[in-house]
Amino acid sequence: MSKSDVVVIGNGFAGLMSALVSADQGKKVTLLSYGAGTFPLNSGVIDVLGYDDSGKAVANPAQAVSAVADEHPYKKIGTQALEESVKFFQDVVAAEGFPYVGSLNEQQWLVTGVGTLKPSCLVPESMQGSKCFEASEIVLVGIKGLKDYYVDMVAENLAKELGNDKKYTVVTVDPHYQGARDLTTKDVASWMDTEAGYADFVSQVKGNAGAGKVILVPQILGLKGNVVYKKIVAELGCPVVETTAMPPSVNGLRLRDVLLSALKKKGITVIENAKAEEAVIEGSKAVAVKAGGEVRLQTYNADKFIVATGGFYSGGITMRDFGEAKEVVFGLPVECDCVEERWVNKQLFSDKKQTFAKTGVRVDATLRGVNESGNVVLENVYVAGRNLSGYDFCFEHSGNGVALASAYKAAKA
Amino acid sequence: MELEERARDSADNCIACTSCIAVCPVTKANPDYRGPKLVGPAHNRMHFSDESDYEDSLKLCSNCKNCDITCPNGVSVATLNMLERAKYYKAHPEKHTQADQMLSHNFQMADMLKSIPFGRTCANIGMSIGEAMGMMGAMGIAPQRKSPRFATKYFREMYKEIKQPEGLTKEVLFFPGCFIDVNDPEVGVAFVKVMNANGYKVLMDDRFKCCGSPLVVGGYLDEARSHADNNVAIINEYAAKNIPVIACCTSCSLMLKAEYTELFAQEEMAQAAKNVYDAFEFLTILAEKGELKKVHVSSDKKFIYHAPCHLRAQGMGMPAVDLLKEIGVNIDSADAGCCGMSGSYGFHKENYETSMKIGSELFDKINASGAHKVVCDCGTCREQIKHGTNAKTTHPIQVLAKAYEQ
Repeated sequence: MSKSDVVVIGNGFAGLMSALVSADQGKKVTLLSYGAGTFPLNSGVIDVLGYDDSGKAVANPAQAVSAVADEHPYKKIGTQALEESVKFFQDVVAAEGFPYVGSLNEQQWLVTGVGTLKPSCLVPESMQGSKCFEASEIVLVGIKGLKDYYVDMVAENLAKELGNDKKYTVVTVDPHYQGARDLTTKDVASWMDTEAGYADFVSQVKGNAGAGKVILVPQILGLKGNVVYKKIVAELGCPVVETTAMPPSVNGLRLRDVLLSALKKKGITVIENAKAEEAVIEGSKAVAVKAGGEVRLQTYNADKFIVATGGFYSGGITMRDFGEAKEVVFGLPVECDCVEERWVNKQLFSDKKQTFAKTGVRVDATLRGVNESGNVVLENVYVAGRNLSGYDFCFEHSGNGVALASAYKAAKA
Repeated sequence: MELEERARDSADNCIACTSCIAVCPVTKANPDYRGPKLVGPAHNRMHFSDESDYEDSLKLCSNCKNCDITCPNGVSVATLNMLERAKYYKAHPEKHTQADQMLSHNFQMADMLKSIPFGRTCANIGMSIGEAMGMMGAMGIAPQRKSPRFATKYFREMYKEIKQPEGLTKEVLFFPGCFIDVNDPEVGVAFVKVMNANGYKVLMDDRFKCCGSPLVVGGYLDEARSHADNNVAIINEYAAKNIPVIACCTSCSLMLKAEYTELFAQEEMAQAAKNVYDAFEFLTILAEKGELKKVHVSSDKKFIYHAPCHLRAQGMGMPAVDLLKEIGVNIDSADAGCCGMSGSYGFHKENYETSMKIGSELFDKINASGAHKVVCDCGTCREQIKHGTNAKTTHPIQVLAKAYEQ
């Protein structure tokens, strides 16, 4: 394998964005992937900041980001890189024909798979829940046989969120499914990608469509970008909104496909099933990463490395015992309050961030790992995404936002 | 000696994230399949006491390994499926069909035909008649397909007639695998040419048996184990003499490098794996050391490459494409997922529709590419591509051998 300018380790959102931004800088990029990242698990939307440190809802993400605590990755990344990263992302997906709406100055609202509302920042057109706000009637579509989507419960919860002055109508579509297993949203989305399936669905819903109404569906509008969405909105003549859903997430898979397509156009080499096992260090620089398959490791040489291995949740950071947390490829310094009593806040959904979630690599404003005295450990190794310390994406709703902004900054450095 | 780390225990690493279901080609094509997560790790974790306990869709897994490639937690999903399947057939040997028997034991048929004068010619004529008269379906073989014909001379016979240059000091042992040996021996001939041009003498060892991959998917695990033990002992014998073992078939190399150890967890298997290489993996190592014969191709002929799933599972990228690009071949990866054949899977009558549905994306890409030929390291993938498109196919080693001739 010939030498690359940049080796990105990690196949999730932070990894793919790091690779794209690097390639956009004219760099020769190799991406080492192991597993599918979290794309099949999250909704493929970009939350930037939904709640501040005290758990208060954020109305303007840009303002709230500039006020985060010093330990937070956004503080190190800075608002300029965040703004540029949002523009970069929106340009990439728009060029692939899958535009995302939203800006840093306001929240978008998603309808979840249980009928509650959730703030986000950048969402595909099909998931703009705010379209429900003005409607006089919400037509909730359930799918016969669809696993984990209880349309009556969605209707009941949504009425609590949006008020009873609207009309809530439930329609159940029969996909005439003959198989032996429970349906997933991905199965229904594949059905919608076929001409016959699409026509069947439309014929069962059309009678309920009309002016002043919104059609609310689970994440089923096809697997290929926004093709089905555009078609069905035109055909039904009223807004159609997708909820978030249980895995496998259709929109996460759409986003992944779109980004992989962009990667391919940029000539980025993706090595599948190649787990990065060790680094070759010379002095204060990394010169190579050894990664690979079943029997022997391949050596990937580069001038620069971006570690987007996903922190605790994805094995980028491990901990055999309290106080022994480590970053697995380069051994970068991990900071956390690794004391058993404080490790976990037993009130999982309380008003406090989780210590385990905040565990990550200690970095400076360049996103390179630093030791306790603040000195950079490896000059050419940068950290992106869930590996970073100081934030709890679940608590504050900042998951893909930190991933995007840190990937951008790490790649630009 | 039994290894401590056993793939069969990896089910406990499964967090039920559904990533494998999202990428499984069979799940996508066939609504009866419950998906790799439920069939492999979940079924395995139940630790059924009754061996006859059976998940109906267990037989639908093609062992293509896309679940393993996508799993973020290192679960050997496909192998768990195969172990569950084996457990079932051990309790119910009577459930094996005639097609299972035939498709898993093609090596026996090949040996038998070799021992009969004109056996292969007659068998090929027999297949043509059988296909024309629609008899394949009655045996459980997909009647739409043309079965691969037996070469009138197997590679093991052709090898003996090849005059390798005198004075080659370095040696490699070739593991031809059944498909190259009995169906497509020209791949083996090309391999010998390429290795000779790089200063290596190619050895053969007639004690090698089928790698066992078709036995594993057919549920004949004990037989597969005896093949594994036989092959592993030979590989380790050559390892002691510093002679690497090389395969051109990526399903064989995956079996020798990874699946033996995953299925049977023996230390000598893990040891032997270290001495096994895919052909282009080996050539890439030579190139990195500056020892690969230099050649430059100046032709505008366009090739399209299909990466076999069993190569992708090996975690080393696409060494054949990288190397061919390096020498100037106009080649691009189709990047269209699984072809749907997965060894003997697509030959089963009941899997035919699923197999063709899975391959449709690849067929469309190939048809749209206008490429001169499709390059692919796997013999049964090439059969599927020929069946699903009108394209001509070749093994990358044949492209390289041709480049050396010019």
